[in-house]
Amino acid sequence: MMKTFSIGGIHPSDSKISKDCKIEVLPVPSKVFISVAQHLGAPATPIVKAGDQVKVGQVIAEPAGFISAYVHSSVSGTVKSVGPRKDLAGNNMTHIEIDVEGDEWVEGVDLTDTLVTAIPEDNKAILEKIKMCGVVGLGGATFPAHVKLCPPPGKKADCLILNGAECEPYLTSDYRIMLERSKEIVVGAAIMKQVLGGCPAVIGIEENKPEAIKAMTAAVAELQASAKGYEGISVMTLKKKYPQGGEKQLIDAVMGRQVKSMGLPIDVGAVVQNVATSLAVYEAVQKNIPLITNVMTITGDCLPMEKQHNYKFRIGMPLSYIAEYAGGIPEAAAKVISGGPMMGKAIANMDATTVKGSSSLLYLTAEQTVRGVESACIRCGKCAEACPMGLEPFLLQKYARNGMMDELEENAVQDCIECGCCLYSCPANIPLLDIIRLAKGDVIKIIRGRGQR
Amino acid sequence: MTQTIIWTIAILTILGAALAVVLYVVAEKFKVEEDPRIDEVEKVLPGANCGGCGQAGCRAFAQHCVESSPNLDSCFCPVGGNEGMQKVAAVLGVEVAAKEPQVAVVRCNGTCENRPRINEYGGYQSCRVKATLYSGDTGCSFGCLGCGDCVAACQFGAISMDPATGLPVVDEEKCTACGACVKACPKAIIELRNKGRRNMRVFVSCVNKDKGGVARKACKAACIGCGKCAKVCPFDAITVENNVAYIDFTKCKLCKKCVAECPTGAIHAVNFPVIKPKPAAEAPAQPVEKKEE
Amino acid sequence: MDKLLVSPSPHLHTKTSTKSLMRDVVIALLPAVVVSVLFYGWSELLVLGVSVASCVLLEYLITRYMLKKPCTVGDYSAVVTGILLALNLPATTPWWVVFIGAVVAIGVAKMTFGGLGQNLFNPAIVGRVFLLISFPTYMTDWTRPQGFVGGGLDALSGATPLGLAKEGGVAAIESLDYMDMLFYNIGGSAGELSALALIAGFIYLLARRVIRPYITLSILATVAIFSGIFWAINPAEYTDPAFNLLTGGLLLGSIFMATDYVTSPMSNWGGVIFGVGIGIITMLIRYFGAYPEGVSFAILIMNSVVPLINKVCHAKKYGRA
Repeated sequence: MMKTFSIGGIHPSDSKISKDCKIEVLPVPSKVFISVAQHLGAPATPIVKAGDQVKVGQVIAEPAGFISAYVHSSVSGTVKSVGPRKDLAGNNMTHIEIDVEGDEWVEGVDLTDTLVTAIPEDNKAILEKIKMCGVVGLGGATFPAHVKLCPPPGKKADCLILNGAECEPYLTSDYRIMLERSKEIVVGAAIMKQVLGGCPAVIGIEENKPEAIKAMTAAVAELQASAKGYEGISVMTLKKKYPQGGEKQLIDAVMGRQVKSMGLPIDVGAVVQNVATSLAVYEAVQKNIPLITNVMTITGDCLPMEKQHNYKFRIGMPLSYIAEYAGGIPEAAAKVISGGPMMGKAIANMDATTVKGSSSLLYLTAEQTVRGVESACIRCGKCAEACPMGLEPFLLQKYARNGMMDELEENAVQDCIECGCCLYSCPANIPLLDIIRLAKGDVIKIIRGRGQR
Repeated sequence: MTQTIIWTIAILTILGAALAVVLYVVAEKFKVEEDPRIDEVEKVLPGANCGGCGQAGCRAFAQHCVESSPNLDSCFCPVGGNEGMQKVAAVLGVEVAAKEPQVAVVRCNGTCENRPRINEYGGYQSCRVKATLYSGDTGCSFGCLGCGDCVAACQFGAISMDPATGLPVVDEEKCTACGACVKACPKAIIELRNKGRRNMRVFVSCVNKDKGGVARKACKAACIGCGKCAKVCPFDAITVENNVAYIDFTKCKLCKKCVAECPTGAIHAVNFPVIKPKPAAEAPAQPVEKKEE
Repeated sequence: MDKLLVSPSPHLHTKTSTKSLMRDVVIALLPAVVVSVLFYGWSELLVLGVSVASCVLLEYLITRYMLKKPCTVGDYSAVVTGILLALNLPATTPWWVVFIGAVVAIGVAKMTFGGLGQNLFNPAIVGRVFLLISFPTYMTDWTRPQGFVGGGLDALSGATPLGLAKEGGVAAIESLDYMDMLFYNIGGSAGELSALALIAGFIYLLARRVIRPYITLSILATVAIFSGIFWAINPAEYTDPAFNLLTGGLLLGSIFMATDYVTSPMSNWGGVIFGVGIGIITMLIRYFGAYPEGVSFAILIMNSVVPLINKVCHAKKYGRA
């Protein structure tokens, strides 16, 4: 029997329209704006100023704290300015504006296609490289990868889980790299596995991507036959269910373990990394290439087939430039989303630029996405049935609207993973997650405050 | 028949008496010792339980007053105002200094005309939800979001949304300056300002910290931080910080020089008597609220 | 595209709505409605018509003019209540009695609590029980009107199987054929006519994921086990499980009334407790009570316990074993 997580979940249509579109490389525009906040945690501190010459892969911002990451230039040219610019939500964030001149890379970068399978032995050096190359989790949260790969003292990783579930409808970027860069991903997995102390690694892929399962299985078998350090890596087929790619759900599905409330995956011996992160780790460690590129999907039901794309982009490219290059924003689109339709962010500002974690430009029509008018709760329990954390959204939203913090905490609002299953499944169109998300933030603040006291 | 009636009365009487004894004993036994002055203070409070004083409610405020007596500096009931605090002081037999009466002021003039919408919001109608999601449906990321969290927070019905401008309007008669709206506004647009002489006030109706050009592009009525007002102010009441001017209401003498100077009309003077069509005698002159109401 | 639409995630929404759920319930009720109209003819059609029309009208009038809330007629919930009320009444019920039932169901049981989603008790059952107590003669008149088909159906006219059993003990029902009852021959309220039609509706509701099976199955299982034990001890005194499952309003009640979203527990385990309670109370009334049938009372009693059950039974949470 195929495995999946044990509580809740929903089955939206997977709509992987662009799955057969090969990854194309986007040409570099004449100007890029690189944000210093491309990761979870403190925004990086810029170390260049207007007028500086930079090369591709050169560090332009340094981490400002333990949970932070390096940011590199994705182009070569002259820094035009360092200052506030609006991100995709319209909020001001420091961006480094660079006028592009040529395409000159920093030294020591291996730009060939040769697969390097020999894994360096020094784990410290590997971690340092991952950190210096600014690798962050590319599954959505953009958590600095090197932090996750150093379990705190006393904790040991029992299993490295590579997330190839790509459970969000429409997105196909992970699918494409699993097909086109399968071996590199496996090398990345072997590197991370070695850093974590040689625990087994499982690549979890949902059943709706049989070609990816085949490609990854073949890559694992080939590398195991030809090189050292690849034992203990396997591919696991998972049942299709959203949110399979949620960290906690994936751990439940693959290992049958559940992370305690407010706990970390490492508490149950799990480390989860996205397949795209694994690719970034490979490029960082084996090729010295910092994380300045990623793959994004341009898709939507209102896009004709020839305008569906999977692009390899460089960070700092304006979204409007990419949309234009891909054939323009379709007339029927009402909303453009960066990320998947369940957890992605609606874009308010198309002049915003790509970041490390950008994964799509998804066009949804008004018919698909405009919410219905809220009506009375009929207590059908569909939200509770759908919640993968086993929460009762109908109850939480009631408490939240009345500001009942103690009851909210008792009913585990802080465990919400904001996957959107409740709002998706509510027949009365109650904005469950909108309300619960706020309450969750408030309750977590209260819990943290208590811990400090 | 008579016997039935007598029995009924007798049983009820005995029952009543017995229960009265039980209630008395219980009440005595579980009595909570409390300063009797708390009750007395609570009696003179407005009883709105609005939390404007910073306490959980009127009783908590009464307790706070009794505890901090004789120094009542940390206690102020915005609803009862100075009059109310005098009463509290009288109950406690202490002195209390008068505070300037205040009123909530909305510092955003991003009406639909001044600040065109550049996108459409389709989520739950709550400013807090909207603010955590993004900067708002206009080019200005500091201005009013227009979902009316302040309206919902007001216990006195003193704030309403003006459908024409999409901005909240404060009813100065009803506003008690409890500060609930100030706390509710995720953009910190609403400020409590001194009511001022005859309700006349001058304030900067903008909180946009963007550079002048950016701010102006997003909203015609934005403060661009040019500093002209600060230069012209004879009382040093105006400071410009982070590209936005602020008028200190304790220093402002209502000369209105800054109002004339402001290139974008971001500085508002309200409740000044109308001068042109012959002064309307004395009394609280008809408000000539700019934009508001 | 004019302006970009921005809203919090998720950006997709299920096609299921309150309206579609209620419409599915109406569809699931159709087999029972068709069978009852076929066998009871014009008089059943009248009962159905009056019931549905008055429920919908009352809902409209009350939401519009008394509660001044958005009108909820469009969501079919009043239609469901109307059909259920009609199926819970004998086909011979006079139209004005049906109307009073509708007034109680919608006006008292639903709207006084605040309308859709707020009511504590199942409106259709409150309507039926009110009529049962207020107009016992009409409500226990089991003469069978002439239907469009099946002239020879009056074998049982005059009493329901449960009524017979109450009056005359097990001996009185020996002549009943269970196969008959399964298909179309259960005497009693209009909706109780055919067990098969009701079960067809149940399967439809399950297939469309409108309801979860826990409540219905736990009621049926409890009734079967409870009566099985008594029957095993003394078959001469107590009726057998198959008889108890097929007769009265048990199927109608357990499939369509006990599973009403608003008045049943939210969690699966809560549903099981709720169902077991209904089953036990039903059988207690049937075996030892004054009434021959007790499903309605059982559901009402358990409805009142639902808030308590909801407080105790919660879904299993992730990572909190």
